[in-house]
Amino acid sequence: MEIAINSKMVTVPRKLQDVALLDFIRDFAGLKGTKFGCGMGLCGACTVHIDGTAALSCQVLIAEAIGRQVTTIEGLAGTTPTGTLHPVQKAWIEDSVPQCGYCQPGQIMTAAAFLSRNPSPSDKEIRDEMSGNLCRCGTYTRIHGAIVRAAKES
Amino acid sequence: MSQVVAEELNVGQSEIECVLPDTDQTPPFKMTVGSESIASFFEPISYGAARLREALRILAAEKAGLSPDQVQDSRAGFVLPDGTELSYATLVPSVPVVLSVSASLTTEKTMPRYALERKDKYQSIGRSWRHQELEAIVTGQTVYSRDVSLPDMLYGQALRPPAFGAQLQSADGRAAEAMPDVTAVVIDKENNFVGVVTDDPFVLPTATQAIVARWEVPEDLNQDQIDASLDVKQLRARDDLEHTLTMVGDIGAGRSNAQYKTTARYDTSFAAHAAMEPRAGVAWVKKDKVEIWCGSQDPFFVQRRVAKATGREVDDVVVHSHRMGGGFGGRVLCQASEEAALLSAAVERPVRVQWDREAEFQNNYFQPGFSHYIDAGVTSEGAISHWEHDFVSSPIMTGPVPENIAWVLDKVMADEGTARGGLSQYRAANRRVRYSDIRTPVPIGAWRGLGAAPNTFAIESMMDELAAAVGIDPLEFRLQNLPSTSDRLAGVLRRVAEISEWGQPAPTGTGRGIACAVYKNQTAVAVVAEVQVDHSASELRVTKTWCAQDCGLVVNPNQVENQVMGNIVWGCSMALKERITVEAGAVKERNFDGYEVLRHRESPEIAVVLVDSDAAPVGVGESAFGPVAPAIANAVFATTGRRIRRLPMSYSSVFSDANG
Ligand code: FES
Ligand code: FES
Repeated sequence: MEIAINSKMVTVPRKLQDVALLDFIRDFAGLKGTKFGCGMGLCGACTVHIDGTAALSCQVLIAEAIGRQVTTIEGLAGTTPTGTLHPVQKAWIEDSVPQCGYCQPGQIMTAAAFLSRNPSPSDKEIRDEMSGNLCRCGTYTRIHGAIVRAAKES
Repeated sequence: MSQVVAEELNVGQSEIECVLPDTDQTPPFKMTVGSESIASFFEPISYGAARLREALRILAAEKAGLSPDQVQDSRAGFVLPDGTELSYATLVPSVPVVLSVSASLTTEKTMPRYALERKDKYQSIGRSWRHQELEAIVTGQTVYSRDVSLPDMLYGQALRPPAFGAQLQSADGRAAEAMPDVTAVVIDKENNFVGVVTDDPFVLPTATQAIVARWEVPEDLNQDQIDASLDVKQLRARDDLEHTLTMVGDIGAGRSNAQYKTTARYDTSFAAHAAMEPRAGVAWVKKDKVEIWCGSQDPFFVQRRVAKATGREVDDVVVHSHRMGGGFGGRVLCQASEEAALLSAAVERPVRVQWDREAEFQNNYFQPGFSHYIDAGVTSEGAISHWEHDFVSSPIMTGPVPENIAWVLDKVMADEGTARGGLSQYRAANRRVRYSDIRTPVPIGAWRGLGAAPNTFAIESMMDELAAAVGIDPLEFRLQNLPSTSDRLAGVLRRVAEISEWGQPAPTGTGRGIACAVYKNQTAVAVVAEVQVDHSASELRVTKTWCAQDCGLVVNPNQVENQVMGNIVWGCSMALKERITVEAGAVKERNFDGYEVLRHRESPEIAVVLVDSDAAPVGVGESAFGPVAPAIANAVFATTGRRIRRLPMSYSSVFSDANG
């Protein structure tokens, strides 16, 4: 029983099958970039990619992720051809999006999966897609701008 | 702050590293509250950095056998008359140099202060530096307090009291103790605490559930009772308002002079901080020392609280600070660290405690609700004839003090946090502003801006009501009633009118409202909001906002703009969403489904202008958000003719009969 996290195979101990993917990523795999915000699928802080699609890792049981490719914020750059920063991460830096920054890994993962599905989204599509990710610091305007920038530059 | 240092030292951003010190590396510093960092530290930091530069200049001079005035500034160092460059790095001895402040006062008088003096040719100040953490944040490398992990660390959790003021009667931890990964169950009635430690984070929830605790719950407390004790009407009926902020002229005479007069009541709700990171801490209680790893707005307060909880001397506790996922006034304490310390003391190993979202909503302190009553009028010349404003809420600044001190304190002190922003900026020959700060069982503490936003909501709503009643444009009405000393506020009002094209007809189906305030007598802000009502979707949306702010010298425009945008979003959220309700002695809202905050889809377009100024820099962290809610409410009136006097508002509350 294994899952691939950022292209590394991780063996899942039998007794951990019922834990949430988020807890497994943070406390078993030791990758702390994926954040806990609500534990109930309401805030998007825990967003990762499963086989390239955005998923709320607090709502996924480890058993459901077995045999699949999980990408976390730490592995996002590794999914680009050059292995350097993902265009979304670059746009985030260029526009100085983060304030406290805590929600941003989730925002970035949602945006990256979204743009790979829809490379030139409309404003309304961006608003709708990004509304599952809360930012209490209120960086929505810059998030929006950075997505537009990343769409243009990639 | 690093930009101020860079200015004095002639260095670039990459040459400065900013560290969060431990509590034993610095003397106690001022906590991060009230957006005071830039206002209080600009001057001393500039001073410190300038002293360092001049001390290095003397070293350079000695080395070259010249006098200091022959040694000229160069990038990250000095240049000698013959063109030789001496970088700081070559001058600094391997041992630390401590600069004593009292040294020669004569050099101090003449010591150049670039951050204060070379305003027209700043090299760092006024530039939009990117935050040094950005790359770490977007790649998930930043270590937030929740991400701290120590070798050999155990995992702990406390049981939550079921209601405010609940007292632990007894607890039975035997079932939990019998579980394989459980290290200890800690029952500590004196600290009203029961918790469990495990060596496996994944069994923590089951172990916690296995503990049976009996609590004594004081009395059944509901929101209605709380609202009743903070009801301005009841206090007015008893003429029982405790503190007078101002009393000038004669209200009665003003009232009889009024061409138009009205009264109105305004209410705002209890609210939570709802920072995205639920708090967490790691504690290691050793024989001679207690170490804490956490994120807090006031590590020295955490240090004192942990010392008290563990019965140690304050000096024996060291707090290592980590980045926080949002504070907003809600993270002055770190209760998770206190819990971790109690648990660690029992097992003598490092213990991590992480709150979940429900714990955040249930166990922290809150912004209190406010109720206001304003009786005001306008003369036939368009001046304010009288302004009588009474309001009630709970003490905020002294909110967290323990009960046994609170009752004495309340006798002698009027809470300044509750009163913040309570005095209107407008001229009124006859005015009286009074308030009461009354404790309820709901724990209260700092929340962004303290009383400023609720108080601004009442004042700026009434100003709009008066302007509309006498048929004067709300911008004009404000300008003509500001005293000449309020030129900075008048300035931002004019600026925001300019950028929003105030006075031009709003697009159909939308309306615009304006509001303004001076935050803490320092930062002048004006906001225009545009609201759209969509009857087919039963939706009320803030589509656009414009904000002009005068916060003096802007050290980092990019960051200030980001902060202002955050304020606008927070203001929209307060206006449209946020409400804490007490039910059966506890908070009814447990997560982001019950307690909603503004989402991306609901957030408006935002335009910000910062007024060019070389006045001393002042705070921006919470200044712009006070005027947002009243600007929105005033926009709702402009488009629907309905007055919003209670927050949060929604489509259905706007069109309920009460607002007709
Ligand atoms: S933590 Fe998963 S959605 Fe909030
Ligand atoms: S940047 Fe702080 S929560 Fe989004």
